[in-house]
Amino acid sequence: MKNIFLQEMKLNIKNFLIWSLTVGGLGLACIMLYQSMQGDMKEMADAFSNMGAFSDAFGMSTLSIATMKGFFATEVGTVHGLGSAMFAAILAINILSKEEEGHSGEFLLSFPVSRSKVITAKGLCVLFFLVLFTILCSVLYVSGFWMLEEEIPTAEFTKFMLCQFLMNIEIAAICFAISSCSGKNRMGLGIGIAMLCYFYDLIGRVVPDLKESLVAGPFSYANASEIFSGNEISSLAVLIAVIVISAAVAFTYYYYNRRDLAA
Amino acid sequence: MANVIEIKNLSKNYGKNRGVIDVSLEVKEGDIFGFIGPNGAGKSTTIRSMLGFLKFNEGSIKILGMDSVKDREKILANVGYMPSEAWFYNTMKVSEVIKYAADIRGLDCSKEAEKLCERLKVDTGKRIKELSLGNRKKVSIVCAMQHRPKLFIFDEPTGGLDPLMQKHFFELINEYVSEGATCLLSTHVLSEVNRYCKNAALMREGHLTMLDSPKIDDDTFLKFYEDEEA
Repeated sequence: MKNIFLQEMKLNIKNFLIWSLTVGGLGLACIMLYQSMQGDMKEMADAFSNMGAFSDAFGMSTLSIATMKGFFATEVGTVHGLGSAMFAAILAINILSKEEEGHSGEFLLSFPVSRSKVITAKGLCVLFFLVLFTILCSVLYVSGFWMLEEEIPTAEFTKFMLCQFLMNIEIAAICFAISSCSGKNRMGLGIGIAMLCYFYDLIGRVVPDLKESLVAGPFSYANASEIFSGNEISSLAVLIAVIVISAAVAFTYYYYNRRDLAA
Repeated sequence: MANVIEIKNLSKNYGKNRGVIDVSLEVKEGDIFGFIGPNGAGKSTTIRSMLGFLKFNEGSIKILGMDSVKDREKILANVGYMPSEAWFYNTMKVSEVIKYAADIRGLDCSKEAEKLCERLKVDTGKRIKELSLGNRKKVSIVCAMQHRPKLFIFDEPTGGLDPLMQKHFFELINEYVSEGATCLLSTHVLSEVNRYCKNAALMREGHLTMLDSPKIDDDTFLKFYEDEEA
């Protein structure tokens, strides 16, 4: 199992570096932009906070983008949320199915390892990369705060990154389950799932009637503006996330252990 | 001699499509068993059911005295399998693939792998994506043999190999079999069955028929295929 895990690490390291440095780098660039925009920000913040439902959707009615905290939540929060969700989806959706897509499944499964061990090794690899992704992006964002000599809102920032990490796990778990059913590259579907979850949350915040059903989506508890505004995370949303993750992982073990593997 | 492979009433279908029907087969220790039949007859389905890639509908399979479903991991520790399409991870080097195959078994097979690479003239410095089918097959042979398994399962192993490599391949099989191993050889090549196999079976339209002798003439051999077309 250790060898499969290490092999997966090797195969995915380039993908990880590209995504983490791009998302983390973009976030850092956004933070650095704050200083140059700070002078003009006051009027912009006033305008953005009076745009009705859209201000609510992006959290600009409760947070001022003229402050570093508000700017981070609205700008970097969106970049990190979307980027990390897409990375989690892309990483997980092909990790099992690529063996059949690339015809290496017979090579791998002719060794004395059970399918469950293959699932565990690959699942742990996804989890490990998501941890590394979160750490690397956090380091880049924190370094941005330091460079601008701005105070880091430690509690909100930690809560935000942890919630984003949980959201990444949830999306990865859904994609992992899909990967167990498929023998083909489903990267488009993975990106689609990440985007769908993001827009579900966005639309839910704009349309008042949908607000009640927001908790079902993984972005509901990871919303930066909610967290940086000091709002409590919905425990129901977190509970749903835990249930979705558990169900997706259980399905993966159940289905992958019972299906025929293509040559 | 003990049975190394014991298949009883194996049936496997793919929804409405036939796979294999009521296949029973015994392969004794020390045998080189020829498994012949047209494309789509069910040879690969039988082999893939034995190795646990497919979940069969009915019947039972025992390999080395163990149940193919319950004891899959223990069985595979003693099996060297070479699939008809030798695919690996494209970006890996040949040496990495061979080492990975040994590491995943928790064995140090470096000496045996070195011997095999020398005999089969395998260039271990190349990347998999740079290799032709024949060269990929040679890597697959090394991966299947380096741990000196008790049972070899080869699915159309010589396609893509040049005649000299085919000769070396069968020399290696004979050496391992003389030391106590058993070999199941799925092939379309009559000369391989005639020359190397001790027993053989024919697979047609999902049914298996044991042959009285593996020594078959060209006309009889081709008739197996013509009958399928008819």
